[in-house]
Amino acid sequence: MIRPVLVRREVPVRGGQPLAFAVGLLVALLLGAVLLLVAGDSPMEVYRRMLSASFGDLEAFSVTLNRAIPLALAGLAVAIAATMGLWNIGAEGQILFGATTAAGIAQIGEGWSGPVLILAMIVGGSIGGALWALGPAAAKAYIGVNEIITTLMLNEIAVRLIRYLINGPWKDPEGYGFVQAPALPEQSFLPNLFQRTHIGLLIAIAVLAVIGLMVSRSSWGYELRVAGSSGATAAYAGISLKRKILTVLVLSGAVAGLAGGIELTGNATRLTETVSNGYGFAGIIVAALALMRPSGVAAVAVLFGAVQVGGQSIKAIGVSDAVSTVLQALILFGVIAAGVLIVYRIEMAEPKVRST
Amino acid sequence: MDAAPLAVELKGIWKRFPGVVANAGTELTVKRGSIHAVLGENGAGKSTLMNVLAGVYRPEEGEVRLFGERVVFANPADALAAGVGMVHQEFRLVPTFTVAENVVLGAADRVLNMGAVERRVAELAGQFSLDVDPQRHIWQLSMGERQRVEILKALWRDAEILILDEPTAVLTPNEADELGLVIRRMANDGRSVIFISHKLHEVKQYCDEATVLRGGKTVAASMPVADLTPQQLAELMVGEATEAALRPEPRQAGEQLLSVQNLCALNNRSLEALSNISLSVHAGEIVGIAGVAGNGQRELSDVIAGLRESTSGTVTLFGEDITTATPRQRFRAGLSYIPEDRVGVGLAPQLSVTDNAILRSYREHTRGPLIAVDRAKAFCADVVDSFKVRTGSLDQRIAGLSGGNLQRLLVGRELTAEPSVIVASQPTRGLDVQGVKAIQELLIDARNEGLGVLMISEDLDELLAISDRIIVMHEGQIAAEYEGADADRSAIGLAMAGESP
Repeated sequence: MIRPVLVRREVPVRGGQPLAFAVGLLVALLLGAVLLLVAGDSPMEVYRRMLSASFGDLEAFSVTLNRAIPLALAGLAVAIAATMGLWNIGAEGQILFGATTAAGIAQIGEGWSGPVLILAMIVGGSIGGALWALGPAAAKAYIGVNEIITTLMLNEIAVRLIRYLINGPWKDPEGYGFVQAPALPEQSFLPNLFQRTHIGLLIAIAVLAVIGLMVSRSSWGYELRVAGSSGATAAYAGISLKRKILTVLVLSGAVAGLAGGIELTGNATRLTETVSNGYGFAGIIVAALALMRPSGVAAVAVLFGAVQVGGQSIKAIGVSDAVSTVLQALILFGVIAAGVLIVYRIEMAEPKVRST
Repeated sequence: MDAAPLAVELKGIWKRFPGVVANAGTELTVKRGSIHAVLGENGAGKSTLMNVLAGVYRPEEGEVRLFGERVVFANPADALAAGVGMVHQEFRLVPTFTVAENVVLGAADRVLNMGAVERRVAELAGQFSLDVDPQRHIWQLSMGERQRVEILKALWRDAEILILDEPTAVLTPNEADELGLVIRRMANDGRSVIFISHKLHEVKQYCDEATVLRGGKTVAASMPVADLTPQQLAELMVGEATEAALRPEPRQAGEQLLSVQNLCALNNRSLEALSNISLSVHAGEIVGIAGVAGNGQRELSDVIAGLRESTSGTVTLFGEDITTATPRQRFRAGLSYIPEDRVGVGLAPQLSVTDNAILRSYREHTRGPLIAVDRAKAFCADVVDSFKVRTGSLDQRIAGLSGGNLQRLLVGRELTAEPSVIVASQPTRGLDVQGVKAIQELLIDARNEGLGVLMISEDLDELLAISDRIIVMHEGQIAAEYEGADADRSAIGLAMAGESP
């Protein structure tokens, strides 16, 4: 029986990753169209609406950019940890705790002026995220506890913490019986840059640029890449693995926490347990599609922002916004599958005699 | 059962791998109910031959006969079904399962009655004096106990022929003696045991017959162990000198550069790997460390390089105590290290040629917090040119380089720092003939320029060819020391095998 097998190409296809991205995106859209057809919707209509809601005009695009900010920061958080071979699955929790810290600062600084309060909340968010990552970082560095498990579990704890705060100490006295956090002071709202994009965009761009440069060009980033390639090689070169694990995971948490602070000041009116909106998990996909490179994270984040914004728009014509989630997953599969074909080609082969 | 056919006959086995012939017409016959030693140096073809018998590899030529009948195995399961069980050096057990679960894994009834299985496993263990509790989990067991579980697995599947691949390497001396009793019971039960080892005293103590391999060929087949002296076995193992040495001109060694005093250290399993090692390396000499793999050489080089802590003793460089210095401090002080595991320790496989070239010196090629890419590339180009590393682009990942070029890059990087001492662990292993020659010449040049070289190798010919002195390590101790000129092959071979000459 002849069956297809994957054979490694001598030379990977030129311009591989962008090509894989385009092909994967196309495949995802086609598969998504099949799903929509089966569900009885018109794929053309759905895609047209999604496109116009996300890229149709400047206002639409400004909404997309707003979405891309937390996605890019969460993606960056995952990517910097991955440079060293570490998996921060806890960006979601770090965003939540970052937002919680920012909300706490808002309560203290109710009387502060806008710029001071906003700065304090955003920096506080970042510190909160770093603190949320500190436990897993220390456990990994000093006793080798798997960071995937610890960061993942802390996500759930962050949700419960907010629930507790909202139900207890931080319950809004003016909530008329509603269980909610008190409204944020008006002066804490991030000003807009243009249309509906707030100035968090500038912060995100600056952070991406600085950290991207650090990872790819600084000696700190070099040590990170050596350690990611082989821990034993890092030890040989005199690089302290413990310190590297600690700093990189804490920095990763700080970047995710920054997203929490920005979301709270930029898009929320009060602290809720949904303020993170799954950005922490979507960030893992964003980072994976960007091949864990900070430089690619921004572009992928804008695309995912568009898919999410587009997904919400089609609720108006009675299509579930789950379409958006399905599309995000299909894009991931499509691009990864196409990525395999960059490095391998398919050949039809006779079955081989089992030799090993 | 006098007329019983031989349990195992391997006839004219050929097996090649890219660049190496592992078995070149190897022969092996094993009698029923006997313990048969297979001896040979690293690379003699022992493991490949055993993997052929256990169905892991298919020979390109030759035949396998069990109890007189020709068999062809497609996979290890076939071999097991025919009665050949193998206990590999790396155990294949599920740590979170119990002993009984591991034993029956893949060979259980559809409905498991664990109580009954545990009783039967305990019974089987008792029959062969294998002391292990069927209810305990693998992760709770010592290496010796895990090995017993592997043996139980083979017995559970009715293995008539059991292959033990260097079984004592992971055992304490007491555990090794217990294993000796277990395999004797198995032999008395009519089973055949193939015992792979480098250690002559174990062969003398536990085995009935011995077959010696060298360079993929059988140089002595089924010799009764009782009639052999360790001296004879050692000579068979190491053979005669093969080629003229490229021995450098003898010269007067200079001042003492590196000195190790009463060094002790543990291996990764927390067993003593080095006990009271003392040696020194002087300017302008190559000191060769000979020994069979796993006798503490790796730990010795790691401790000297600062990658492993010593439990006692001192390391000094230029008379300064560096016992607690970091790897970076040692390198700065003039100690270069070519580790045994080139790509996992000495190089970062996923990074570029440039990134690997600056591994030791990246802090010197910086502009502010950033690495000065132009200076780093210039440095890399210099190493690549001076040491003739063949590479397409300096930005390409080193994963695409050949073994010889990887080693040139590594050795080049270490020598470019102008060290005064080089510790080189297996620097030529796995390289082709030209690569071996090139690396040996680099080390000899370094020695001629007045560096001290400590070279660890399992290839005795190589050490005899280029060393000024040879130190033999056995079980973490220095077993013997020879001046290069009057080093005697068979005496070294004997010392390597743990016999005093």
